[in-house]
Amino acid sequence: MMQTLAIFVGAYRELSARRLFWLALVISVLVVGLFACLGINESGITFIGWSFESPLFNTTTTSPETFYKLLFVNLGVDWWLGVFATLLALVTTCGIIPDLVAPGSVDLLLAKPISRTRLFLTKYCTGLLFAALQVMVFTGATFFVIGIRGGAWEWSLFVAVPIVTFFYSLLFSICALVGILTRSSVASLILTLLAWTVLFTVNVAETISNGGRLAIQMEIKEIEERLADTDTTIDEDEREELQSDLASTIENQPDWERVHFWFYGIKTFLPKTTDTLGLLNRWMLDSASMPVRDEDTASEAQKAFAPKRVPRREFLEVIRAAQRSHSIWWVLGTSILFEGVVLSIATAVFVRRDY
Amino acid sequence: MANPSNMPSSEFAVDLHDVHKAYGKKIRALQGVSLQVRNGEIFGLLGPNGAGKSTLVKIMMTIVRPDSVNGTVLDRTVGDYFALERIGYMPEHHRFPNYLTGRQVVEFSGAMSNVDRATRRRRATELLDRVGLGAWKDRTVGSYSKGMRQRTALAAALVNDPRLVVLDEPTDGVDPVGRREIRDLLLGIRDEGRTVLLNSHLLSEIETICTRVAILVQGRLVAQGTIDELTSSSRRYEIVIEGSPPPWCTDSVSVHSLPPGQMAATGILGECCRLVFLGLDAPGAQPILDRLRREQRTVLAVQTVRESLEDLFMRAVTDPTTGLIYRPGAPT
Repeated sequence: MMQTLAIFVGAYRELSARRLFWLALVISVLVVGLFACLGINESGITFIGWSFESPLFNTTTTSPETFYKLLFVNLGVDWWLGVFATLLALVTTCGIIPDLVAPGSVDLLLAKPISRTRLFLTKYCTGLLFAALQVMVFTGATFFVIGIRGGAWEWSLFVAVPIVTFFYSLLFSICALVGILTRSSVASLILTLLAWTVLFTVNVAETISNGGRLAIQMEIKEIEERLADTDTTIDEDEREELQSDLASTIENQPDWERVHFWFYGIKTFLPKTTDTLGLLNRWMLDSASMPVRDEDTASEAQKAFAPKRVPRREFLEVIRAAQRSHSIWWVLGTSILFEGVVLSIATAVFVRRDY
Repeated sequence: MANPSNMPSSEFAVDLHDVHKAYGKKIRALQGVSLQVRNGEIFGLLGPNGAGKSTLVKIMMTIVRPDSVNGTVLDRTVGDYFALERIGYMPEHHRFPNYLTGRQVVEFSGAMSNVDRATRRRRATELLDRVGLGAWKDRTVGSYSKGMRQRTALAAALVNDPRLVVLDEPTDGVDPVGRREIRDLLLGIRDEGRTVLLNSHLLSEIETICTRVAILVQGRLVAQGTIDELTSSSRRYEIVIEGSPPPWCTDSVSVHSLPPGQMAATGILGECCRLVFLGLDAPGAQPILDRLRREQRTVLAVQTVRESLEDLFMRAVTDPTTGLIYRPGAPT
């Protein structure tokens, strides 16, 4: 315990010695300050002294509490913590593992009565300290903004701390593996960003292919129902058009199914960074009963594949149901499994290597 | 003083046998090395670059994994945590984070050796004062000179009140005054009952403070013992006489190839010459002196000469067949 504590205290000293750590904290506070400057009244959104009319966001459609939660989840978590703060965190912490195995440093630690496995995993956990501290500061500050400006003390916000830290750990495990293999901070950073891009691309591809697949299924069902509907009269031209559309749609269906099958398969074995942050959205919406707008649940790409003959709202509900059909354990479990495998490889390399 | 509970139970602090280590298939860094370091002594580990000294030390400290090793360190198997808690280690190219103060470096080292907070705080202050960094202990390591970093590393190696202190080039980068101070400090450490294993290239330093030494060459231990023991075979009498060498002495220039009791002229010094008797004691030299006097030779000087550690080292690292220094690294 004494050694673990010493390593964590050392990591905190290391982080606090880095300007990026303080820069990220300052920006976090500024982002929350920006939230605090935003307000909502009966006609729309206010910013300090200015007022902007909005039919979507006003106190008749959205409560101040919900408004701030939406800001927190959609802007604060998805964009600030999920993208910019994560980039800053990766830049700041990408050197932790290469520094650990640097000649002169590693000797001092390996000569101590601590197992290599414990040493490596503790160091890995210190890398998560940066993300955890950032999220804690951001969430804590937002908690007070919502409490003071929105009038609700929403403790469920703090679910963001483990969720975002776990999201970061998925990327940092890749960073740690590259760091132990290459001993280079720059290589760790670049390859982690590359991996993140790949994960994002696979996720987008799976989402789009799933949208296309569902759209085709709904379209086929709709056309078949119309053709089978004896109560409604369909003229010959329309019948021909429906049959022609049905034939081409059925022809396309296997392609979409196949594409989705492959992307879904690939995604299953990869960490689900986007879905992990999406869990927060899901929990916050559930726990705080925030209004769900149609546009919230489908990406632009999915909307592009919407079926022609199915009502838009119906399609979006199916999409939303499909998104939520992934259980939390599928999202977290497979991600944890990936992280476990990556960390096991990194630990094995660290343990077996001579320094 | 060393903690009485840390007192040794056997004669050797380090007792290693048959240590083997190969890096890949081409480099055999250690080939059956056996090393014994007695409790309470300062032991010097010598060898040219690439001889395997650092590998041997790193195996003891669990930094390098051996292919095979038998024996004990502080009466425990190599890598035993109980033993590691009682070893102080100062690596050659240590690197402390620049943002830490000297005190924080020493305290961190103590915490990693499971020294409780109060003890490590107290010892950090004491040790930094002892190594001459009392006024600098709360400044960051980034502002330290190379010598000051060496002293900090030494303090960090001592914070856990170790029974065995393993030092790799402790005076590297330290000025002559600092070197002297560190030497005195090492003698003080020994006087406290601790064992010191010193890996250094500075032969004069080793010769001054080490009780025993070992010389590693190409992954093999070629000599181990006290300096007296190792140089006894080279003890000789040298007689400087006026004029040319007497015709009855062997005309040889290699002292070591001289059979014991035989005399050789090893050099003409102006109008004088030097005669060397290998392996003779004083009574054995008297007949030679009598003979020289009978031949009315003028004896200018008579002295006992013994090989220096440097001579011993050079002899150990020189291939007797070619007369060339062994190349760094070990052959396969």
